[in-house]
Amino acid sequence: MNDKTASGSGPANSSAEPLRIGVYICRCGGNISDVVDVERVAEVCRHLPGVVTSNVHTFMCSDPGQKNISEDIRNEKLNRVVVASCSPFLHELTFRGAVQRGGLNPYLYEHANIREQCSWSHKHDPQGATAKAIRLIAAAVGKLRYAEPLDQIRLPNQRQALVVGGGVAGMKAAADLAGRGIPVLLVEQSERLGGQVNRWNRVFPTEQPAAELLGALRKQVEGHPRIEILLRSRVTKISGFIGNFQVTVEGQIGPAGRRTEVAVTVGALVMATGFLPYAPRDGEYAYHQHPAVLTTPEFLELLRHAPDAATLQFQGRPVRSIAFIHCVGSRQVEGVQEPQADGKINNYCSRVCCTTVLQQALTVRQRFPETEVYDLHQDIRTYGRGHEDYYIQASQAGVIFFRYHGDEIPTVALRTDAPAGAPPLRLTFKDYLTWGEELTLEVDMVVLAVGMTAGTCQSLVEQLKLPCGEDRFLQEIHPKLRPVEISVNGVLLAGAVQGPMNIRETLAAAGAAAVKAAAILAKEQVELNPYVAQVDADLCEGTGQCVEQCEYDGALRLVQVVNGDGKARQRAEVNPGLCVGCGACVAVCPARAINLNGWRLDQYEAMVDGLVAEAPALVAATA
Amino acid sequence: MIALGKPDRQTDVLVVGAGISGLQTALDLADQGYQVTVVERQPSIGGRMIALSKVFPTLDCASCITTPRMSAAAHHSGIDLLTYTEVDSILPEGAGHRVLVTHKPTYVDRDKCIGCRLCEYACDAEYPDPFEQGIAPIRAIAVPFTTAIPQKAILNAEYCMTCGSCARVCPTDAIDYDQQPVRESIQAGAVVIASGYALNALSSKPQYNAQRSGNIISPLTMERLLAPHAPHGRVLRPSDGKIPGSIAFVQCAGSRDETVGVTYCSRVCCMYAIKQAMLLSGALPIADITIYYMDIRAFGKGYEQFYQNAKAMGINFVRGKVARIEPVDSDDLLVHVEVTEEAAGAMQKRRHDLVVLAQGMIPQWNPSVASPVRLGGDGFVATPDATSPASTHVPGIFVAGTAAGPKDIVDSIAEAGAAAMEVSRYLYQHAARAGGSGTVPAPRRVALKLAATGSGT
Repeated sequence: MNDKTASGSGPANSSAEPLRIGVYICRCGGNISDVVDVERVAEVCRHLPGVVTSNVHTFMCSDPGQKNISEDIRNEKLNRVVVASCSPFLHELTFRGAVQRGGLNPYLYEHANIREQCSWSHKHDPQGATAKAIRLIAAAVGKLRYAEPLDQIRLPNQRQALVVGGGVAGMKAAADLAGRGIPVLLVEQSERLGGQVNRWNRVFPTEQPAAELLGALRKQVEGHPRIEILLRSRVTKISGFIGNFQVTVEGQIGPAGRRTEVAVTVGALVMATGFLPYAPRDGEYAYHQHPAVLTTPEFLELLRHAPDAATLQFQGRPVRSIAFIHCVGSRQVEGVQEPQADGKINNYCSRVCCTTVLQQALTVRQRFPETEVYDLHQDIRTYGRGHEDYYIQASQAGVIFFRYHGDEIPTVALRTDAPAGAPPLRLTFKDYLTWGEELTLEVDMVVLAVGMTAGTCQSLVEQLKLPCGEDRFLQEIHPKLRPVEISVNGVLLAGAVQGPMNIRETLAAAGAAAVKAAAILAKEQVELNPYVAQVDADLCEGTGQCVEQCEYDGALRLVQVVNGDGKARQRAEVNPGLCVGCGACVAVCPARAINLNGWRLDQYEAMVDGLVAEAPALVAATA
Repeated sequence: MIALGKPDRQTDVLVVGAGISGLQTALDLADQGYQVTVVERQPSIGGRMIALSKVFPTLDCASCITTPRMSAAAHHSGIDLLTYTEVDSILPEGAGHRVLVTHKPTYVDRDKCIGCRLCEYACDAEYPDPFEQGIAPIRAIAVPFTTAIPQKAILNAEYCMTCGSCARVCPTDAIDYDQQPVRESIQAGAVVIASGYALNALSSKPQYNAQRSGNIISPLTMERLLAPHAPHGRVLRPSDGKIPGSIAFVQCAGSRDETVGVTYCSRVCCMYAIKQAMLLSGALPIADITIYYMDIRAFGKGYEQFYQNAKAMGINFVRGKVARIEPVDSDDLLVHVEVTEEAAGAMQKRRHDLVVLAQGMIPQWNPSVASPVRLGGDGFVATPDATSPASTHVPGIFVAGTAAGPKDIVDSIAEAGAAAMEVSRYLYQHAARAGGSGTVPAPRRVALKLAATGSGT
């Protein structure tokens, strides 16, 4: 496999200097070294061709560990570095930084994953895990043999932002960015700003009227000299990449209110499209089978218009008792609840419903003292600052609590035999505050505490290929390392588009998204990953097969070039901003004229050689 | 206003605290080009998080998430780190705030120290290592822990015998037994308080008898017992070094309880108890693990699924507020609890080898004594602006992370980002009002280009 085919791709080591590779093996505090014999791995790797030093460190990613690398680059004159540690997903960038600080091109670096792929997956086979670690490192060393210095692609940055969605998250992100001097286009599909919170009454835990909070946010965006707001509008087309997203917005724009399309180019995009309240199916807890079964938003609407009285009135009848059922559309259990339209159940917690119920229950007890309130929960999750007070106050105000198990959910039945004026609904459930006793409650009204479900941003998800989680919300890259970023660079997540959140959390998430957007837009240029396709113009025959294969609009095209002989010929050309480095073009080129920088075919071959090298060749090296 | 004279140092933003919130705030500001000074009272940056084992719900090793942040902050040209430094006061001054700090003596010249640890090896005096929650010793002069930043030795004068061994072996002559506290005055455009949390005392609830048994431990001690590079390399109970066969987590042992003075929920205890229980069942496969709880508050993204996994792994969840913990012979503990979920119900006494008490989260620092910042009724920094979760009562002073109430790492990081955003907005407006550092461009709107007219015409 080592014989170079007539690929003509780059020379083995373009800078003719001899290879001096450093190999660094991480113990990960025991995560790796409890299974993999890292000392032995280091010993074997020391004898791989080109390797001049091979070291072990307890936490390679720590500052002393990184310093070790950068100092060796200077002192040992290393010109290539391999780190064998966790997944590159976590720390590839960390070590590129360390390599760069040592004065070496950051792309003369390879990452071998010996934690997820060795110690964690082969916990019960230490010998096998150790052997596999050696092979993975040998592959990385082989790949580096053909590595060339690469530079990040620098492209002009369109220093303005698009915020999609004009609810709390969108308004906050827009106000933050504009307040920092960045021009913002805020696009909202409905006729007014505010989103779901427009339907709310008072905000917990401050009890501030929701309208007042929205008013304060609106004041920060409406009339702001740097914010353009488009209502009744939606993003119809989006393409491009960080620093340069081309967006088309369609809506009733301009004084005449005609349907019009506008085009704009932005450097960053904040997704703030929010959530939808869970809509119970017909018959779920008798919803839509009896008018007195309401969801929490519907009940809020009722409370908004009901005059204070001894008893709450509904459709001309007194409501003497209400039962709230928690976790409707949340914390669902496989096999107990019917699956949703997509076949999945909502097994997540919606975070806000417990406090919402207690706030509503307390309001009922305060405004309608003769209306009894029952609360059927699994756990009371009043975790937030000031939220526990609602629980304490609701208990003191006489709300009666019951606890059910998620796999034995309450049933709600209509009392067809009920005499006139008697409660029309019957709840049956087992109460685990009293040893699992089976109880029956007859009530005038049932309120379903509906959770949050993923909002509708399907068109953007599809066009930008944004990943969603099992829960259908947009999926961040990592909850702690990159919590508001998504796998498409330059797209930030603000608020409930990412998962259930209350208003305070939404504001914080929107701020966190805005600060990442601000950091992107603070620079004149954006820097992109250099792993893109490159065409060897001498070898390219202009067959166009690569263009046909390419899935990314505009990433590859055929251009006419005029040769020295005056003849025009077709050649493939790459737009590095749009190329994602998938390699589909490489596979179909009959002339091997197209390659991926950093992942060239000769590098793959060298990796395979490293992986399949006869075990004795590796072991003998230690003898 | 008191005349404070010329500051020793000027900075765009001063961040109080170098835990995960403070570091994230600093990085998010420095990445936009601001100059940030971070003040940390401990000898190393990294806060509470660097001492944790693994973190929920991903079970990532905590070091692997924290150390790169620490390293990024240490290497960022826009960030200055002042460790082992206390904030004495934060007072409005000119367009920003004047912050007075005291650099505490480390008895090691930090410019000279190269972190070689020869002093540590030569030292004969030991004391319980605070980083290890006291379950392992550390020398009186030592680099605080393996991944500490900076990698500089610090001498604990309380335990030093002034024998002179360290000074004799130090290759750079860095030991200075006469070092004195040094005060410094810093002028900052804005301040962020990210001073974090402490836990209330293990003995807060006298019925739990923590002072009578070494086997009633803090969750932070359990983190160290479970850390991949734990001092003992395995989980042993403190009193006799026995491998525990039965471990209990007693939840709400310092929160949601009027008798201990903390009525709020500490928000993280359910999840870390579940996480520790999972890690324990990995480390001690045959051990019996029970979590006594009132409500399981698994509210965050992926948390409920994490809880369900723990149940499926065979961890016992028992609903009931523990009434009493009684130390008995052979160092075991009897947990008195009313089990409400079983027909057998009523009071039960269950025997365990080791008990972890979920202590309540309280503020680490009270900034209201050093600054005009006001606190909420719960003792954490108040955030009166409904549209800005990071704003305090004082313009130009912001708050991030658990200084504004209990929260987990994910939520702390989000708030840290939000605080950085509020600060940049504040500084930008300030510069705009001051009328021209020249960096503020004139207001510009997004250029919208009309595309082909739609069908409405």
